[in-house]
Amino acid sequence: MKKFDPMLLKVFLRGLPVIAILAVFAYCYSEGMVNHNSGYSRFLNGFAGLGFALWMVLSVYLSIRLMVSGSFRNYVIGKITFIRERDEREAILTGMAAKTAFLTSIAFLILLFCLSCFHVSIYRVPPEKAVDGKTGFVTLGLGFDLLKYDKQDRPEDAIQKQDIFSYRGLPVSGTTIILMLIVWQIISYNYSMRRLMR
Amino acid sequence: MSKALPQLKIVNRLHVLRAEQRITQEQLAKGVGVTRATIVAIEGGNYNPSLELAFRIARYFKRDIHTIFSVEEEIE
Repeated sequence: MKKFDPMLLKVFLRGLPVIAILAVFAYCYSEGMVNHNSGYSRFLNGFAGLGFALWMVLSVYLSIRLMVSGSFRNYVIGKITFIRERDEREAILTGMAAKTAFLTSIAFLILLFCLSCFHVSIYRVPPEKAVDGKTGFVTLGLGFDLLKYDKQDRPEDAIQKQDIFSYRGLPVSGTTIILMLIVWQIISYNYSMRRLMR
Repeated sequence: MSKALPQLKIVNRLHVLRAEQRITQEQLAKGVGVTRATIVAIEGGNYNPSLELAFRIARYFKRDIHTIFSVEEEIE
């Protein structure tokens, strides 16, 4: 398997643009922008599906290999960051850069956790609902849900309020956060490695 | 807590030895199996080589290790 891993990684990376093109074609096909009766387009749609399925299997396999194989990790890190360990000094610098990337990622995760927990709301209520003559309110909250629900069992607001500013956790999806973390890890590692190597 | 020990400053004579024997940084790097950047870092005092690399350098110059690397002063 060790022999095939670098080859499969190349297939995975070079297949990315092909997958993007096939995805665009599949979208056009499903939206009816392409003639469904044409044998050529049906064949291409089938090929797109097969290609995408194979690429997904490959991505899962490579992700698992990355988790379990140290030598493969080293190989991939070199490919992703364009940095190789050529001698003992660079091995030490790699360790320092990895430490920086790890610690900054932890800091980033803590920031994301805080941003996803905090609830801030600034609103006004009608004059008849004023409390001690005050109609402007600022509410601060901390929301932590262990499990994700489609609809949260929170009571509807009984007071008719006019929101001026309302923040209830991060407005980005889980996929975006994962992608942000991957990019953050690569950038922080690469940046600190290049700074150390100066 | 234990009292922090003073840092040792390790100095080297790589630059002098190279000049004496007319060896370039690239040649020395190849001879001891590291990159030229590492030789530059050692000569500049920015990197202390491992014991293994220090012995390889000493062997390359056919000298005792303490004639190349020494402790010059203690930084408080």
